[in-house]
Amino acid sequence: MHIRTPCLAYLFLIFFNLFFLFTPFCDSVAGSDPEPDIKSSIIISPDKQFDFAEAYFSNKDYLMAVGEYERFIYFFPEDERVETAMYRIGMSYYLGRHFKKAVDSFNAVIDRYVDTDLSIKSYFMISETHVNRNTFGPAIINLNNLITITHDEDVRDEAYYRLGWIYVETASWEKARLYFSKISAKNKTKYRLERLTSELNREKSIPKKDPDLAGFLSIIPGAGYLYCERYQDALIAFLLNGGLILAAYESFDDNNNALGGVIAFVEFGFYAGNIYGAVASANKYNRKQTVQFIEKLKSNTKINLSADVKNKGVCLAFEFIF
Amino acid sequence: MIKIPRVIIFFIILVLCSNTCFAEQNMTVAKNHYLSSERLEKQENFVLYPIKFYRNYISKADGYRCPMYPSCSQYCMEAFKKHGLFLGWIMCSDRLMRCGRDEIKLSPHVLIQGEKHSFDPVNHNDFWWHQ
Repeated sequence: MHIRTPCLAYLFLIFFNLFFLFTPFCDSVAGSDPEPDIKSSIIISPDKQFDFAEAYFSNKDYLMAVGEYERFIYFFPEDERVETAMYRIGMSYYLGRHFKKAVDSFNAVIDRYVDTDLSIKSYFMISETHVNRNTFGPAIINLNNLITITHDEDVRDEAYYRLGWIYVETASWEKARLYFSKISAKNKTKYRLERLTSELNREKSIPKKDPDLAGFLSIIPGAGYLYCERYQDALIAFLLNGGLILAAYESFDDNNNALGGVIAFVEFGFYAGNIYGAVASANKYNRKQTVQFIEKLKSNTKINLSADVKNKGVCLAFEFIF
Repeated sequence: MIKIPRVIIFFIILVLCSNTCFAEQNMTVAKNHYLSSERLEKQENFVLYPIKFYRNYISKADGYRCPMYPSCSQYCMEAFKKHGLFLGWIMCSDRLMRCGRDEIKLSPHVLIQGEKHSFDPVNHNDFWWHQ
């Protein structure tokens, strides 16, 4: 008993001291302030959250912008800017080149909002996204769907205009003309159709090489390349094939049949390659000329159809050609 | 005096010329020209042995000098894998004739390890008949 009593007394003293030592810190550590300091806490309003997301968007930090727009939609689902935020999510994915997610986001806008400005723009952006992915089929289907459901003539005209350009991209000139011609008379000036049609009619003057003729000419090694304006390739094809044919002939003539056979086998590859290369060169030439024509057509006649939210405004531009 | 047949001289020149074309490069940039299935690769393996031998031993000693991307040896391997023995051989021969000449002016350029190369993958040469 003599030993235990002082021990208990010491323990009691230690706990007593510890209790008083830590009592002042306990509240702050636990965060259980009975009267919280309201001034130091932050309350995020819808305006602040939306502006924060917009700041990321304008700084081209698109993935962060998506996160902030989603936060805005989650915390303020009743706000009138939810539709804009949803559209902006699509635009962020589009500008960040996440095209599949962009299509999903624009589809979400279309599913939730019917016949609003942004849902119409979402249709256009979906087709734009598909065009960027070189999947022209879904882009055409999407625009045709829009033409079917809309009653607004301006929207329909823009859809026709976009469809026309998609067909220009695929070098389907007749279909492009057909859709451009469907644009109503009142919007013909807006889309500069007169100039566009006259420029489009020049597609007949795109220089072309006939692949069949190139292949046929290659019976004489190098002549096909020469036709496709590949002069160095033509010379090499002529010399190489001529040399190998001569070598094979001499080998057989000298009764070196095995050697002649090997050379003839090699020569077969180069001769056939000369024909194949000439046909491919003609096709490559045609493709290059067509692409150049389309690029020129775009730069001369295509008007800007940005479907962004803030696309309304006046812009003064000067262009110097030198 | 030893008389060397003209055929032998021609072959020596041909082999020396082809060395400049068959230079190997590391594939680092172009991912859009794909290789075909494993089955085809196994089928054509015996054709690829000489090219692999060239890439692994001769080209490394000879130096990487092909001005095209992918290099001719890489292009040939892809052509064999994608189109089989017959067409692969034809496309390979076609590429060897075009290497370093007009294609340099006509094809788009890519930078590989700081050097400018002409971009001419298999799908730039079979787009007109093969998707």
